[in-house]
Amino acid sequence: MNSSVPWRESRWPAPAPSAAPVPFPTATPACIPVQARRSLAHNKATQPATNGYPPQPAMPSTESDPRPRMEFPPAVRSYVQRCFAPENQVASVDTKEMQEKLRFVITDAAENHKLEMIDWERLALPQVMIQNERNKILANPSVSHWGMSSQPSSPGDASRKRKSTDIHQTENSPPWRKANNNRNRFEDRVTHPSTEKRPRMTTDDSRPVIGRCQKLEKNYFRLTSAPNPDTVRPLPVLRKALDLLKKKWKQESNYTYICDQFKSLRQDLTVQHIRTDFTVTVYEIHARIALEKGDLGEYNQCQTQLRVLYAQSLGGNPTEFKAYRILYFIYTRNWTAMNDALADVTAADKKNEAVKHALDVRSALALGNYHRFFQLYLETPNMGAYLMDMFVDRERLSALAAMCKAYKPDVNIRFITEELGFESDEQTARFVLEHAPAELLEERNGSVRLLTGKAGLVFEQAKSEAHRVVDIKGQI
Amino acid sequence: MGTLATEFRIAYNNGSGPGLAAVLTPIATRDDPDRLLSFYNFSNPAYLTKDLNSSFFHGKNPRVPKAEQHAWVDIFAAYWEAVGEILKWEAGHPGASAVAIFNAWKKVANAVIRGYSVQSGLPAWSLPCLYTVGKFLRTFAIKADLQVASQGSSGLDFQEEVAADFEKNATLEDAARVINRMFTLCLSDRAPIEESRKWGIYNTTNLLFKTYFKINSVGLTKNLIRAIKAQSDDLPPLDAFPKSHIVTFEYYLGVIHFLDENYAEAEEHLTNAWRLCYRHANKNRELILTYLIPCHLVTTHTLPSNQLLAPFPRLEKLFRPLSNCIRTGDLVGFDKAMSAGEEEFVKRRIYLPLERGRDIALRNLFRKVFIAGGFEEAKDGQPPIRRTRVPVAEFAAALRIGTHATGRTRVDMDEVECLLANLIYKGLMKGYIARERGIVVLSKNNSAFPGTGV
Repeated sequence: MNSSVPWRESRWPAPAPSAAPVPFPTATPACIPVQARRSLAHNKATQPATNGYPPQPAMPSTESDPRPRMEFPPAVRSYVQRCFAPENQVASVDTKEMQEKLRFVITDAAENHKLEMIDWERLALPQVMIQNERNKILANPSVSHWGMSSQPSSPGDASRKRKSTDIHQTENSPPWRKANNNRNRFEDRVTHPSTEKRPRMTTDDSRPVIGRCQKLEKNYFRLTSAPNPDTVRPLPVLRKALDLLKKKWKQESNYTYICDQFKSLRQDLTVQHIRTDFTVTVYEIHARIALEKGDLGEYNQCQTQLRVLYAQSLGGNPTEFKAYRILYFIYTRNWTAMNDALADVTAADKKNEAVKHALDVRSALALGNYHRFFQLYLETPNMGAYLMDMFVDRERLSALAAMCKAYKPDVNIRFITEELGFESDEQTARFVLEHAPAELLEERNGSVRLLTGKAGLVFEQAKSEAHRVVDIKGQI
Repeated sequence: MGTLATEFRIAYNNGSGPGLAAVLTPIATRDDPDRLLSFYNFSNPAYLTKDLNSSFFHGKNPRVPKAEQHAWVDIFAAYWEAVGEILKWEAGHPGASAVAIFNAWKKVANAVIRGYSVQSGLPAWSLPCLYTVGKFLRTFAIKADLQVASQGSSGLDFQEEVAADFEKNATLEDAARVINRMFTLCLSDRAPIEESRKWGIYNTTNLLFKTYFKINSVGLTKNLIRAIKAQSDDLPPLDAFPKSHIVTFEYYLGVIHFLDENYAEAEEHLTNAWRLCYRHANKNRELILTYLIPCHLVTTHTLPSNQLLAPFPRLEKLFRPLSNCIRTGDLVGFDKAMSAGEEEFVKRRIYLPLERGRDIALRNLFRKVFIAGGFEEAKDGQPPIRRTRVPVAEFAAALRIGTHATGRTRVDMDEVECLLANLIYKGLMKGYIARERGIVVLSKNNSAFPGTGV
């Protein structure tokens, strides 16, 4: 949704410096000393390994002031010719980039009086230099500008995900940090069914780390390099940490804190390849807390992981979470995923009360049977009600749209209260008035009636408004 | 090698893309069962390039530009290696593995891609080579994944947010990345359309669709569709492409919409596929119908005829019991048929739309109530009019019979109203419920149940 927009905008400018090795303006450097100097500075930073001659100390800029037009030796001229020869062009380096690099190489040599010293026959062509530099950057991710900003610093920095809870943090950070945080956050939530991520994961993280950290609490920080054992907690410490977190959650109910702590807990489990019933417990507790707080992004991460863990029969409460999963996909209206969730349900699962309930909810909705749906809503087992609360209003609007089309000329509001699981007639009236003008409610013979004959269009619109596809980051 | 080189020269001189593709096909033919073996024995790593050069391009025939010659030699050098792996596998050599075949074939694929990407490389008319190489890349990847799976999980590395599904298709995902490059190669070609690789766009897309479906990442197909749409101004019209490309493309497009519950669009694409599909390609026709029939049920509320299903026993088994129950308004039978077929329906991803057939079954049941209600007393020689005011209780009674309800599972009047309201809302019934009086007022003039004659 919205949060992805700033990320997208900020994504492009940042990698540019790494892709175009020499940010050199188009003006001719020979006449503008300041820029010539700048190019030298750059030379020191990026050149030595690639172009084959030792870096020279930067010269005072005044020395290279208006130079007389000079004759280049033939070796240089033939070098330039080779640069432009069609057989030497490299597809990934465009002519402009190549020219800039070439200009840089020659100015640099001229200013340092090395025109005669350089072996122009052997010197790599500028397009090749550019390619080499790029390869170097690719091969060594730590050079990339992305790695920089995400060092573990203050606890507030660690990328957390809640939208509303960490406003204070985003507000007083500078824009570039905001962008980076957003990016991390986005990355966090996107699962990678595809392609790009895999090879890196299998090679980098194939060997488990064994932690040495003894602290119980730890802020979450998204890893950008191999984990450091000094900051990873081993299993016995993690067990104590979980007990502490459970206690803290009961006492303080500070979700921002708890979520952050659970994420670091999960991360420590991941990097140490711990996959036991304890792992299941951690994910289950985190999933339940996230559910309670309506943090569906975080919940979905846990749910996705739990599905893998359950597949390995590590204990836990697979049926409870299978039921949540079905309810979750009803909420997100992800039918492809729903089909997969249905495929996961076994005959034995169907005997489970929670799974049966979730399946009934799904089929009631699929058939538009709001009567049944709201009966089921009132008897939801476990914590499924938190999920159902997410879409119950949406389904009330659907039901009202159907009722308004079917019942003429009006219905008693008491009937709506009963059918759509409202707590009182007042609540019903308030709900109706949120979407429809007051004229549609009429008091007659001591009861309030909804003029269904006239309200059809109003609720039809409200319904389609509410049924826009739900987009949650981190969804499968 | 001799024959293979000759085949290459002939195909090249004829400008036959399929001919070249046949040369690159990594299987022996019936006419020449030792095709691969003789090619492999013809050379060795030290002399391979030289041998290929001389046997393919020596002499004046065919006249091939230098850059292109290099490309072909690279491709066939990689092909030679891959053939070596395949022969090892076929001979049951201990060092052979499906994974090794895949890796070797991936090099062929990369060489082909490189051949097309370089300046004055392979000409667009040779695109069938790309298709063949891509097709076998997918096949080999699937075999490699099966092999890996059968050898047991090789130290499954536990990754947050990486579900188990993705583990078992690692090689195929790798293949998908390579095929994706083939796709880009075709889509981004800017040569004039007569000699453009754009003609390969649908073939490579289909291959990617297939692969993404197999690795359970249907979502990724959206990126391809978007990319094609963005280029649509530069692409020739769909009907200018070979039918074989288009049928598959339309089929997948239809299924993708189908899975998103865009049944109207799904129907359009599936109908196109159905119309263009070769008459005797029964397997493909069956696949199209698997989705087109549920689509029809949702969009037009029609059931498949006996005649349509007759040639497809599998579809007959899948849809016949369900359609019979829908036709007769047998709700119990419908629910039974749904749960009996559930596993198969879910597997084919048609459970959710079929479920909606229950509405039609219910409509048919309620329609019987209406017909059983008979006619009003005719007034002064007017033709008789059906009784259009039907008590809700009568519908409830029908439901009680229809669902075999016993005293215990009594039918809830509010639920009956809810079902009626739904049918009215969905346009399957015309009329309204007057709740205070407990009756349903149905539309007159033979339009109470639209499209059914009453």
